[in-house]
Amino acid sequence: MKEVNKEVLVDAASRLLFSMEEREYDTLLEEFKILKIQMEKIGKIEGLDEYPPMTFPFPCEVDFLREDVPSKPLSRDEALRNAGSKQDNQIKLPKVVK
Amino acid sequence: MDYLDLPLLELHKALVNKEVTPFDLAKEALNRAHRDENNAFEYLCDEEALSFAKTLTEPEEDNVLWGIPYFAKDNFSTKDIPTCASSDILSGYVPVYDATVIELLRDKKAVLLGKTTLDELAMGGTGMTGHLGITYNPFDPSKERMVGGSSCGSAASVAASIVPFALGSDTGDSVRKPASLAGLVGFKPTWGRISRYGLFPFAPSLDHVAYFSRDVISSALILDVLAGRDEKDATSSFVPVEKYEENIGKPIKGMKVGIIKEVYDSLSNQATKKHFDSAIEALKNSGVEIKEISLGHDLMESLYATYFVISCAEATSNNANLDGIKFGPYRAGNSYEEVMNKARTQGFSELIKRRFVIGSYCLMKENQDELFLRAQKNRAKIVDEVNKALKEVDFLIAMAAPGIAPKFTQKSDKLSREYLIADNHLCIGNFAGLPSITIPLYLENDMPVGINFTGRAFEEKELFQIAAALEKETGLAGLSAKNKKEGNL
Amino acid sequence: MNFEAIIGLEIHVEQKTASKMFSSAPNSFSREPNTQVMPLDMAFPGTMPTVNKQAVINAIRVANALHMEIDHVLTFDRKNYFYSDLPKGFQITQQFHPIGRNGYVEVDTSLGKKRIGIERIHMEEDTCKQEHFLDYTLLDYNRAGVPLIEIVSLPEMSSGLEAREYAEAIRNIVVYTNTSDGKMEEGSLRCDCNISIRPIGQKEFGTKVEVKNINSFKNIELAVDYEIKRQSKLILSGSKVEQETRRWDESSSRTILMRKKTDAVDYKYFCEPNIAPIRLSDEFVNHAIETCPELYDSKKERYLSLGLTVSDAEIILSSKSLASYFESGLSSVKNAKSLANFLIVEINAYLNKNGKKIEDLQMKCPTLSEIVNMGEEDKLTHKQCVDILNRVLETNVSPKLAKEQLNIVSQASDDATILEFVTKVLDANPQSIIDFKAGKDRALGFLVGQIMKESKGKVNPAAASKLLKEEIAKR
Repeated sequence: MKEVNKEVLVDAASRLLFSMEEREYDTLLEEFKILKIQMEKIGKIEGLDEYPPMTFPFPCEVDFLREDVPSKPLSRDEALRNAGSKQDNQIKLPKVVK
Repeated sequence: MDYLDLPLLELHKALVNKEVTPFDLAKEALNRAHRDENNAFEYLCDEEALSFAKTLTEPEEDNVLWGIPYFAKDNFSTKDIPTCASSDILSGYVPVYDATVIELLRDKKAVLLGKTTLDELAMGGTGMTGHLGITYNPFDPSKERMVGGSSCGSAASVAASIVPFALGSDTGDSVRKPASLAGLVGFKPTWGRISRYGLFPFAPSLDHVAYFSRDVISSALILDVLAGRDEKDATSSFVPVEKYEENIGKPIKGMKVGIIKEVYDSLSNQATKKHFDSAIEALKNSGVEIKEISLGHDLMESLYATYFVISCAEATSNNANLDGIKFGPYRAGNSYEEVMNKARTQGFSELIKRRFVIGSYCLMKENQDELFLRAQKNRAKIVDEVNKALKEVDFLIAMAAPGIAPKFTQKSDKLSREYLIADNHLCIGNFAGLPSITIPLYLENDMPVGINFTGRAFEEKELFQIAAALEKETGLAGLSAKNKKEGNL
Repeated sequence: MNFEAIIGLEIHVEQKTASKMFSSAPNSFSREPNTQVMPLDMAFPGTMPTVNKQAVINAIRVANALHMEIDHVLTFDRKNYFYSDLPKGFQITQQFHPIGRNGYVEVDTSLGKKRIGIERIHMEEDTCKQEHFLDYTLLDYNRAGVPLIEIVSLPEMSSGLEAREYAEAIRNIVVYTNTSDGKMEEGSLRCDCNISIRPIGQKEFGTKVEVKNINSFKNIELAVDYEIKRQSKLILSGSKVEQETRRWDESSSRTILMRKKTDAVDYKYFCEPNIAPIRLSDEFVNHAIETCPELYDSKKERYLSLGLTVSDAEIILSSKSLASYFESGLSSVKNAKSLANFLIVEINAYLNKNGKKIEDLQMKCPTLSEIVNMGEEDKLTHKQCVDILNRVLETNVSPKLAKEQLNIVSQASDDATILEFVTKVLDANPQSIIDFKAGKDRALGFLVGQIMKESKGKVNPAAASKLLKEEIAKR
């Protein structure tokens, strides 16, 4: 496991595309301390590795697939009405450099 | 007469008898909402609500929701009605489509009056973290106590008798916990029973559409409308729906109820224990067989961390769409990264950012095994234990909260047994996707406390049956801040 | 030092379903941006994915054509990263349980057939389209959510030609399963090549370079070969190959550095909780396979058995619409090889001249078959058949009527009739007889020409030529 330190957290935040105030990192480090202790409680539980990681709360397999029939799309006005930066019926961004 | 104080069924009768019209009802409810002092609302849609209510002139006798006003938590997508999940990052966002539950309720001619506050993006349990600030508990005129969250505004709106029911969402306990603090019936069904299409996701594997009402039968009647397969939700169940109120009033003799020992043991308040004991006594007197169920102390103390890791991890991914490009405030920059960075930095509160960092950290390649996957394995273990218990008994019972609503100033020790277990055990119902209901049990200094039943998957009908039976014993059906009662237990 | 190259390909194909992978928005090309969009495609909060049945059927068919094991339980995963063209901030893909595993495809090489192993194929969704201008970029969400199949080969190719043939084999499969247009030029088939080299005999792999932005099958070959040379030179000059992503630059015919690969990106994969696992019944999978349109290889084999040359069969199969045109005339034609010939030469020439596509052609293939049959039965010359064909193409009359209108009559091939013309022409051209006898073969051509002229084309030239020789010998 990666060691939790400020550097790692700053990097994690920047990869999530936001920045945080300085003091928030201290709060975060405190929260990680608590989480670590709490996670240790999970560590104490026996036979955990016999269980596959669970995503769905109970077996819920279906045999359903959506028929390939198109529905009426959004009008362009609807599609774009919430976008704050637009031009020529498209969303406009500063030039994306590949 | 104050029709809005009536329980759903009686209000329905009044509407059918044309004692009151949907329009008058909506108007009165909106009046109350505009005078609200609990900070319960993000947006009130007077115009849409009144013009819709005006069209409702022919009462539908067999449709209990006809003309009934309601609110939805502001994390349900409502076409043409602003929806921001109490977060600045969605300020000004006007959805282009309706959530399935919103559609179903409109089909039944229930009248949406507006959208209620929540902990930002539904990630919180205090009702204090929405961008409009604290939502207050209508039971506490001094405004010192929480209503709980994240569905704080919906809880406050029903507790203040503005509407007979309100939609919320429940990822860990976000309806069933505030229900306890605000003297309400808070219900979440089996995962997949109500379509989540249009519910802004927090952690989809744990998210449920849930709601508040002031009595159990309303809760059952509302499920009749909301339950069912939805092709737009690929986790929606094919299990046939039932008439969920059908068993209410039938004897509960012979039913088996398991007391979750660890929750009971972790209660520090003797009064809480005493009232819980009376509830158990009452059930016994009705012929219910009581058992003590132990799920394991370590396992119970691990609930919170398990919940925290899974929900934060899923949340960081679900909210990655919030970047100010397609919707939400756009903030100009010199590169797309800067545009997104500004939107997210300014749009999320620091608390939300911290949770995202934690979630993201748990998902990192080098941490996944020890954090995210371990939490998912522990979830499997918890679910296994709970389902084993539910082979022995029909329901699990526990206090929904350790006591009355805490004060805003109160600090909880996040490593104490009471915090880890009594305050946070309701997420069991989310881990296992089980139907779960909180009903008011007693009041202490005019502040309510709730008790919770959790049943087997898709056995909502039986859950309502036993909850209604206990509700009869408590005498607290119809409780609200305007209609405070003593209670019998 | 001698090197061997190790090449692996990742191919993405855009599926041509009616609706998108996870939303019911139309999956159709539109010049009007942002008109083929449902709320999910722009990641509006609360939207949920639903899996397209046809996209699954296509994936099963491709997996089957690639001899893969098909997973009967579909689950999906999230690949989390931020980019301007990624609406949700994650892509729904199949990281942990791809629909197909462990397959192969056969390609022709100089050393005979070679099997290229395929590690996996999985379904995922496309991103939105970015249009770049001088100082800004515009986003069109019409493409967002278009179903993709990703096909990941094992690193088992060793030259540019092999890589190209592999990619063409994949193209043939996705085109003939009706999954995709498979056009690299239009981006409906995209290919990233991973190339490394190592001294022959060395076990460890060399440093891998990824080449993107290749826009034609020919360029796969060029890019891979260029990269092999570039890497060899680097090593021979004592430098190291860096792990990096390069792009193919068509104008300069070389690969250009895009970015160095530092730490591999951590996509924080986890199971998509919004899609319950989908169980595919045996019936469903089998039905998808049984109803799969005939594949390229099987069609080719069939064409060869009908007498087509390999080259003709490949030309016809290089375009699915050409092939389906051809197929529609096969049942009525007596000589498939002639039909192929007319299609490849005459019809193609007509289309090129008029700037038309085969789909635009009013004349359907059974009519062409009729002309071909007529030519055989009435012993018409090739030219006569072409004249009839052109008349049909231009005026849309029946072949029979065209023939009448053109006054075309069947050629005489009975010796008596031909001999009349032969005698007449030989009598009129004594010098040609001398020339021919003196070894000037051209003289014969001249004489045949004269016979054709005299007979107004009614004489079979081959028969005339034969009789001419006999008669000249007698004189």
